[in-house]
Amino acid sequence: MIEFRGVNKWFGPLHVLKDITLSVEPREVVVVCGPSGSGKSTLIRCINGLEATQDGDLVVDDKRVGDPATNMTLLRTEIGFVFQQFNLYPHKTALENVTLAPTHVRKTPRAEAEKAGRELLAKVGLADKFNAYPSELSGGQQQRVAIARCLGMRPKIMLFDEPTSALDPEMISEVLDVMIAVAEEGMTMMVVTHEMGFARRVAQRVVFMDQGAIVESGTPEEFFSAPRTDRSRAFLSKILRH
Amino acid sequence: MIWEQLQDLIRSYPLALRGLGMTVMLSLISLVLGTLLGFGLGVLRATGNRFISAAIGTWVDLIRGTPFLVQIFLIFFILPELGVELDAFTAGIIGLTNLAACFICEIVVAGIRAVPKGQIEAALASGLSLWQRMRQVVLPQAMRVVLPPLVGQYVLLIKDSSVVSAIGLTDLTRVGWLAVQRVPNGLLVFAIVGVGYFLVCYPLILLARRLERRMSAAHGEVKL
Repeated sequence: MIEFRGVNKWFGPLHVLKDITLSVEPREVVVVCGPSGSGKSTLIRCINGLEATQDGDLVVDDKRVGDPATNMTLLRTEIGFVFQQFNLYPHKTALENVTLAPTHVRKTPRAEAEKAGRELLAKVGLADKFNAYPSELSGGQQQRVAIARCLGMRPKIMLFDEPTSALDPEMISEVLDVMIAVAEEGMTMMVVTHEMGFARRVAQRVVFMDQGAIVESGTPEEFFSAPRTDRSRAFLSKILRH
Repeated sequence: MIWEQLQDLIRSYPLALRGLGMTVMLSLISLVLGTLLGFGLGVLRATGNRFISAAIGTWVDLIRGTPFLVQIFLIFFILPELGVELDAFTAGIIGLTNLAACFICEIVVAGIRAVPKGQIEAALASGLSLWQRMRQVVLPQAMRVVLPPLVGQYVLLIKDSSVVSAIGLTDLTRVGWLAVQRVPNGLLVFAIVGVGYFLVCYPLILLARRLERRMSAAHGEVKL
């Protein structure tokens, strides 16, 4: 579904992705973790072309990202992206946030899109917030609307860029619960997160990155109980200390 | 003495109304056209390729950096030399529209750049086209930043329209010049002319103030 083959990326002189080779199968859930600045956000932002790669092949849903022949706008409709800062449209209600892309991109009739939008918002536990503006919602609620907004496009892939990092601790689990439900329905997911409970519960694979390279990759079981490298051991000791 | 002069001036109200009408007409047409053109240029400048953006930027700087009187003379006296015959009204509309578009372009660009990058990324990630991103996500939020200075700019442009009297259009200012020849009291005549402009501009000033107050209450989109 997603395949990186020797992908490199630079920000000016900074080599942010180093020879990335990684393959994600349909229905697989992959958690990407690593210290800050390790390139994990950049990695998933390349998948829907929010960042350009400079070298190597990146194939998503059988289409080459960055190839002029690939219609990126079309490819992006198949890829949901959840941002750390939610990025809901502040001038639109929760329901309008969910129905915007389906009505304008997929050309779904408005009534049908609104029905689907209400169902999705109910599914993420916001049945009473259809007409609320983002500024009237808590961080956890906003992130759940953002997930519903992605699901509204019925994507084949969902990418999450530190979806719980901007949340107060008491709101993290409500967002993780929604993500677990999405994963259990068989969505192909790549999730940049340090929520190791989530990784243990739904991920088939954990990828550990450091300084722009994939250092280690394995099942959550292997990664947490027997990390193979010094860097992953040092990282785990820091995030699992408390 | 002043009373008689005032009565004399009041008797010539049809001329004054004609001048006021011309000022309002010139302003209205050129502000509507200038706003449309200014938004178009602003969107192109903020999103177009480097060449288009630089070309628009140069033109805007040129127009903003030269006196409007000079521009209107160039349009009215130089264009006919090149074979483009223009009547004074058309020349006035072209000059004012161009001036309005250039100032509004800069206001729109500032508004578009004030929209957080995350908004554009979210719109991009959900597969919206460039036009859909602009229309549905960027411009509604940019309007928050754009509207108060836009209305303020309207006030300045209405006052700048007085310059077209220099090419013989009978607007409010030119009516003042005509009246002064009959009633030799410049102070009185141009005080009345000033009141005329004020009556047109003051509602806009109030609107701008109202819009500015509404900014904080809005959810990112401002409705008039």
